[in-house]
Amino acid sequence: MALPAHISASPVAAPSRTLVYALVGNPNCGKSTLFNALTGLKQKVGNYPGVTVEKKVGTAYSQHGQPITVVDLPGAYSLAARSPDEAVTRDVLLGRRADTPQPDRILCIVDATNLERNLYLVHQILDLGRPVILVLNMMDVAAASGLTIRLARLEHELGIPVIACEAVNGKGIIDLKLAMSRADLPLSRHAWDIPAAIAPAVAELQASLTSSDGKAPLIARAEALLLLTDQDSVRVAGSRPLSARTAEILRSWQQRWARDGTDWAGTLVSSRYDVIGRISGDVLQAGTATGASISDRIDGVVTHPVWGWVTLGALMTALFMSIFTLAEYPMNFIDSQVAALGEWVKASMPDGDLRDLITDGAIGGVGGVVIFLPQILILFFFIGMLESTGYMARAAFIMDRLMGRVGLNGKSFIPLLSSFACAIPGIMATRTIEDHKDRLVTILIAPLMSCSARLPVYLLMIAALVPDDRVPTMTKVGIMLLMYALGTFGAFGFAWLFKRTLLKGEPPAMIMELPPYRRPNLIEVARHMLERAWLFLRRAGTVILGISIVLWFLSAYPKAPDGTPPSQQVAQSFAGQAGRAIEPLIRPLGFDWQIGIGLITSFAAREVFVSTMGVVFNASADDDDTEPLRKALLDAKWPDGRPLFTPLVCFTLMIFYVFAMQCVSTLAVVRRETNSWKWPLFQVGYLTGTAWLISLLVYQGGRALGF
Amino acid sequence: MSPELQSIVALIVVVVTVALLVARGWKKRRNPGCGGGCACPTEKLKR
Repeated sequence: MALPAHISASPVAAPSRTLVYALVGNPNCGKSTLFNALTGLKQKVGNYPGVTVEKKVGTAYSQHGQPITVVDLPGAYSLAARSPDEAVTRDVLLGRRADTPQPDRILCIVDATNLERNLYLVHQILDLGRPVILVLNMMDVAAASGLTIRLARLEHELGIPVIACEAVNGKGIIDLKLAMSRADLPLSRHAWDIPAAIAPAVAELQASLTSSDGKAPLIARAEALLLLTDQDSVRVAGSRPLSARTAEILRSWQQRWARDGTDWAGTLVSSRYDVIGRISGDVLQAGTATGASISDRIDGVVTHPVWGWVTLGALMTALFMSIFTLAEYPMNFIDSQVAALGEWVKASMPDGDLRDLITDGAIGGVGGVVIFLPQILILFFFIGMLESTGYMARAAFIMDRLMGRVGLNGKSFIPLLSSFACAIPGIMATRTIEDHKDRLVTILIAPLMSCSARLPVYLLMIAALVPDDRVPTMTKVGIMLLMYALGTFGAFGFAWLFKRTLLKGEPPAMIMELPPYRRPNLIEVARHMLERAWLFLRRAGTVILGISIVLWFLSAYPKAPDGTPPSQQVAQSFAGQAGRAIEPLIRPLGFDWQIGIGLITSFAAREVFVSTMGVVFNASADDDDTEPLRKALLDAKWPDGRPLFTPLVCFTLMIFYVFAMQCVSTLAVVRRETNSWKWPLFQVGYLTGTAWLISLLVYQGGRALGF
Repeated sequence: MSPELQSIVALIVVVVTVALLVARGWKKRRNPGCGGGCACPTEKLKR
């Protein structure tokens, strides 16, 4: 069978320079899935808008074996950027970024089920005068919904290669690679009649952009059109500003149009929509299917004002039930293996510092954290399933009303949901939020969502709080749900406060696309889980191991005189002195100096608290056994013999970790995203202060009530 | 291994560990973030 002209092997020799392709499209149309299919990389994908917020670069290979650079850009509905992530896409395509060369060619990916809406961005991109390949993704979904797209007609209308594709199944990738390999990709034949009254403004701006800003003529024309229809108010780091002359010309035209009272910008946009409407009418053939789709029927339940909340609650309960029941056996296995390893080292080596470093420092510290691997995997399995099916966007939808009451909208909830895995991608995901103040508020409250690093701390405390196996699992699930709810509602409370004081502003209306439900991609979910497992173990084997070794030294030196009990040795050590130094501050919360050491070290990362407890309590154990950490905590006492980890203290400690800002990496990212030290320092102050105050109220209140 | 020799080896391990942690922290100052530990881009992906 003969291949269509645009994908036939080119008679022209392949170019010697590495071609740069930009991958652009609307949010959630499958750009990152296509990027992964082309480059073999593993960029994060998900069935909700806003997964990619920064450009990513990978390498694909042409049919001639030549490398092709592919730049995956954040999704955008148009080149008129409204948020920082969209501004990155606009700036790369217009050659405004000093750190990224302007792409030679553009891969425009569109969601075949929403062709007309997606064509607006395509139409703007064709103005750029670069060779473009149009990729119609999700053709299977379009066909299933009864939609027929006349590919040849679309190709004729736009004058560019059009490739049908199912990126998630790898269909159409070979055709696409063949098209990308062509040395002679045609330029679009698309013609767009700009209203005559606007043409002089476009011409003058185009001339200035060419002469004063060094833009190529076609790019200059496209940018002139964009400047005349866009506020161009969203600027990001690395973006080159307009020259003074161009800015002055733009201002003068805007003032002239304002004086005329004619909305020429709106006219320009309308004329583009007219062209798109005509093309869509020609190429789209709607099916005869009527009535609500399966997606609509499911949405009737999961976005219902009552059943939506019930569904969310049921999902969270199922998550924590799984964490406490399914994880128990692998956790016990890892626990016993860690203990056996410690015993073996103790039996194999004579007494001495190196033996103690290995058993109390390395094994005690790392082993205490590693046993939580099964729970971490279960958490990421659930998160992966929710992301893959499209439920994340629904959760944001049902949260919108609640978020509106605190002055934010549902769009802020996607970054907050991501923060349940880790605050760092959550904070980066705030780049999809248009309003600067809303974005800042979301960044400030994101660390309150209980991230996966808190999970080991919660689980250890719950194990100490309700150690009896006869305690119903639902009690433990209830405590866990309470911690997650406290963090979430605490975040809403602070958002309400900030929106009325520091960062006043009206809550914007949310316009959010609900993606169709998709069958979860189990391979992708499993791959993500394995990646997380590897990252967790790598973290345990590097940072946590390192801190455990240093902590062992700090708890073993300076050496006490011979015959001093191990617990006394730790008390007079460097670590003990540090813990004692902050003890007056934390004693009102029911915490002693040993817990204080954990609070200090866990500033590096929250789960370090668990490894610290492993080092401190194993180092202070009087016998020669490496005890399971949970048992060691239950045996810990105050000097007067009272148990240290009472249920009230465990509960207070969990609450402290719900609110405290114990993560130096998060602070570094907040510094980068806000371009200032003011906000991360404010974040440390308000979160740690709140943690202390609420912990004080809980502990002292609990004591007053007789707990 | 005698207790004295164990102490010397243990202290060397501690010094090397501190040096590695400092080097890691210094490296992260240039590119702050989670080092790939929080679903950030993998190392193969360039920003």
